Amino acid sequence: MKTLTAGQLEQLLAVLSTSWELRLTILLPDGTRVIGSPDDGPLALQGGAVSGKPTAAFFPQLGTVFASSEGELREPKAPERPLFVLGFTPRDLACLRFIDRFFADGWRDDIYFRQRDGAVVAGLSGYCGPGGSLIRPAGGNCDLEFFRDGSNWLVIPYSEAGIEIAAKVADFASPEARERFRQASVQLPDENETLLLRASELLRANRVPDYFWSEIGDRCIACTGCNLACPTCTCFGVQDWRSTRQVERSRMWDSCQLDGFMREAGGHNPLGSEGERSRRRIHHKLAADPEKWGEISCFLCGRCDAVCPTGIGIVAVMKELVARYE
Amino acid sequence: MCPYCGVGCMFYLVSDGGRLVGIEPSTTHPVSRGGLCVKGWNAFAFVHHPDRLTTPLVRRNGELKPATWDEALELTVDGLRAVQAKHGTDAIMFASSAKATNEENYLLMKLARAVFGTNNIDHCARLCHSSTVTGLAETFGSGAMTNSISCFDQTDVILVIGSNTTEQHPLIGSRILNAVKNGTRLIVADNRRIRLARHADLHLRHRNGRDVALLNGIMHVIIAEGLEDRKFIATRTENYAALAESVADWTPERSAAATGLDAGDIVSAARMFAGGERGMIVYSMGITQHSHGVDNVRCIASLAMLTGNVGKTGTGVNPLRGQNNVQGGCDMGALPDLFSGYQKVSDSQLREKFARAWGVPSLPSEPGLPLTRAMNAASEGLLQGMFIMGENPMLSDPDQNHARTTLQNLELLVVQDIFLTETALLADIVLPAACYAEKEGTFTNTERRVQRLRKAVEPPGAARADWEIICDLAGQAGYEGMHYSGPSEVMDEIAGLTPIYGGITHDRLDPHGLQWPCPDRDHPGTPLLHVDRFTRGPGHFSPVVHRLPAELPDEQYPMVLTTGRTYFHWHTGSMTRRTHLLDREEPCSFIELHPDDAARLGIRHRDRLLVSSRRGGVQTEARVTDMVIPGVLFMPFHFAEGAANALTNNVLDPESSIPEFKVCAVRVEKLP
Ligand code: SF4
Ligand code: SF4
Ligand code: SF4
Repeated sequence: MKTLTAGQLEQLLAVLSTSWELRLTILLPDGTRVIGSPDDGPLALQGGAVSGKPTAAFFPQLGTVFASSEGELREPKAPERPLFVLGFTPRDLACLRFIDRFFADGWRDDIYFRQRDGAVVAGLSGYCGPGGSLIRPAGGNCDLEFFRDGSNWLVIPYSEAGIEIAAKVADFASPEARERFRQASVQLPDENETLLLRASELLRANRVPDYFWSEIGDRCIACTGCNLACPTCTCFGVQDWRSTRQVERSRMWDSCQLDGFMREAGGHNPLGSEGERSRRRIHHKLAADPEKWGEISCFLCGRCDAVCPTGIGIVAVMKELVARYE
Repeated sequence: MCPYCGVGCMFYLVSDGGRLVGIEPSTTHPVSRGGLCVKGWNAFAFVHHPDRLTTPLVRRNGELKPATWDEALELTVDGLRAVQAKHGTDAIMFASSAKATNEENYLLMKLARAVFGTNNIDHCARLCHSSTVTGLAETFGSGAMTNSISCFDQTDVILVIGSNTTEQHPLIGSRILNAVKNGTRLIVADNRRIRLARHADLHLRHRNGRDVALLNGIMHVIIAEGLEDRKFIATRTENYAALAESVADWTPERSAAATGLDAGDIVSAARMFAGGERGMIVYSMGITQHSHGVDNVRCIASLAMLTGNVGKTGTGVNPLRGQNNVQGGCDMGALPDLFSGYQKVSDSQLREKFARAWGVPSLPSEPGLPLTRAMNAASEGLLQGMFIMGENPMLSDPDQNHARTTLQNLELLVVQDIFLTETALLADIVLPAACYAEKEGTFTNTERRVQRLRKAVEPPGAARADWEIICDLAGQAGYEGMHYSGPSEVMDEIAGLTPIYGGITHDRLDPHGLQWPCPDRDHPGTPLLHVDRFTRGPGHFSPVVHRLPAELPDEQYPMVLTTGRTYFHWHTGSMTRRTHLLDREEPCSFIELHPDDAARLGIRHRDRLLVSSRRGGVQTEARVTDMVIPGVLFMPFHFAEGAANALTNNVLDPESSIPEFKVCAVRVEKLP
């Protein structure tokens, strides 16, 4: 375990930028924090999870699949230098692990892995949450982790790439710092995690009636934000742009909150109401994915609750559901 | 800033190698607060569409052919001048755009007035909120939304009338939903079963075009039961006696008979609205787009004053502006009778002020033509040249066949746009413009918040920002007063000439803009209008006589058609219909009809129908739903291949010249 001052961390990033294409948590002019390139704004490591999903670095909202003109097919190239992405919280890292497996299961999604292969993923934890609050360390799921300890950063490598980067750091962490890290790593019971399990059980036992979902659905304005912000939502739609010059196919994030998502060509829709679609959104994460993957696919990153204009993100819905049906 | 509706949400465009690849909502913005609606989330997706115009086009031997900028600019200016020489200065008209920035609207009105010497300039606000501007100017002295969007979090009762807020102003609609969850009472007066109606304490499904009858009935009950705010009436208003007299015989029973409602519901609505400590009225096109649109607005203003709901947080008359910059288009004087900041062209001192600043000897004093009268003037041959920036009257104007012949018969039609729209296809010259993501400037949202727009990517091909094109046209015409380093310098000129924008400069607008009036550089902006006094002094009660819509159903055309928009498309669809997810949601034109009507006419869900009115017929698909009441049909106007405006009635409100989009008589038949 190594240690860095804030200034040394910035120097390290500058060194890394010669071999990697950096994506860091940055501050935009109005105070929004996102993952972006260092040219887009000042580094902003503190404040917890960024607003957009960090997995967009590998799976952007819109990505070209191919373009074709005059009998020639062009596919997007892998980035010239691999990505180094710093800004995943431990919850985000769990989401990334989930979609890494999803995109590699059975077929391997070459568009995703074109960005993902060779990329270095760095986690953020320690006393850098909102208002300096503690974010428990991830302890894995990434190449290396930066842990905020007072005014310093501890560097904890996990993978080979992570160890190579940590080797560039000179100072070792003091025994006291290691102890503070160890203590911060002790997992304490989390209210929302318990809620997640209870809600999942209610859903799997079929204890939530349809009218609950139509009440929730009545509040959904189909903005699609909950899906678009969720790091474990992987559905995409495909669009073709045809002109006399070329055909260009791209794919973009889709949303199960839209009517067109499941509508059949003849017009019939098995998920034809907002209520059914809201049920689907929550059910997928809490009941369907546990069956397919053996784990709930919501890691409580908080984004859908933050982005939903009408207050029906997953935690809000689970609270209501558990209060009414347990 | 979002390029769609007047809510004015803010987001960042994510680009990768000069191409837009996504959206990041602003988490700190006071309006959008980290959220967006589906249009906002997809607002990047049309920008690089292959249909974008990339080069000027000029009609040669009947066909639009690529041309250079020099040619196109020269032909435009020479053409406009030739029409003026032949038919008179006022034989040309400029149509500005509620999609263009404030700076661009200002420049186009400057071009029209200072360079071409005509007041014939208008924009699509004519089609949406001209009734508001006229009605509220008379009663309050200012035609804008009186309160702020944040007021929805601080009110006791909301009356939503003629606004499908969750679909058309989604991030205001969501605030209303949240307010209701937190105990605010909600009255929805709209005969469609819109989403808000599912959450309303009271849903009034009154007959189309009977808003005056409804509002007069409500005011009657308030006065009869002594629920009016006497102190407010006495200290802040005038002409109350006339109002009281005019509603005296609008008993709930009479109002019920006229509107098709229960008298009891009218009484409940009156008690509920007057019973709240703070009440907000929200309205939109359902109020304004009538041949008596101004009267509707007057009634709303009266109801607000009667209950003392003006000038305080959580109250007010809140017309929701449709287009992202329709407020700005009006503020900038893209109107036939007003300079920027609602300064009258008929006032000689103001004319002199503008003439001096613009370096011209004089400016025209007679108000010009409103857009909706321009079509008639053109068909009568009075108007021979039109310059249309960023609008698509072929789909947006009433009575499409009339619009087409008129535009075709013009001697010169110039269209400046981002796509080859249905209107651009008829043009003699087409100028390719940059879209919102490709330029700098400001937009003003529905709560009068002036906000900055920033360039994210380069425009395609030879396309250029509207402001650059306008300045070049001025230069081509030999006018020297339009050289700017950029939109920020244009705003400085606007501030110097426009008291309500007096303190607005680009550098003051970060991060979240300023709400006008903002008279000087130290002024913090104005979230609430009319706090201690109305802009005009005392608030004026304008009593109103109930008039029926111009065209009522009869034997030949037995049903009422009302038009509007859907959540997923924007107006004439030139952007949303090129956005995959949005177009997938609503790929084709449809018409809503009630199950009873469907059964009577033997129509099934998704049957192909022919809908006809006295003006024309269109084919569309049936959507059988109890969203509408029996006898009434609803049709969105976004679709070129099932154009609702082939049916609508081009009858205008006598005062605001707004067309009656909301009521016309039609007949439906099932197609074999
Ligand atoms: S909290 Fe919401 S956005 Fe985050 S992982 Fe769970 S469902 Fe997805
Ligand atoms: S974020 Fe909320 S309103 Fe938007 S689609 Fe999801 S549930 Fe519906
Ligand atoms: S509510 Fe209006 S401004 Fe906001 S994202 Fe939607 S269309 Fe854009």
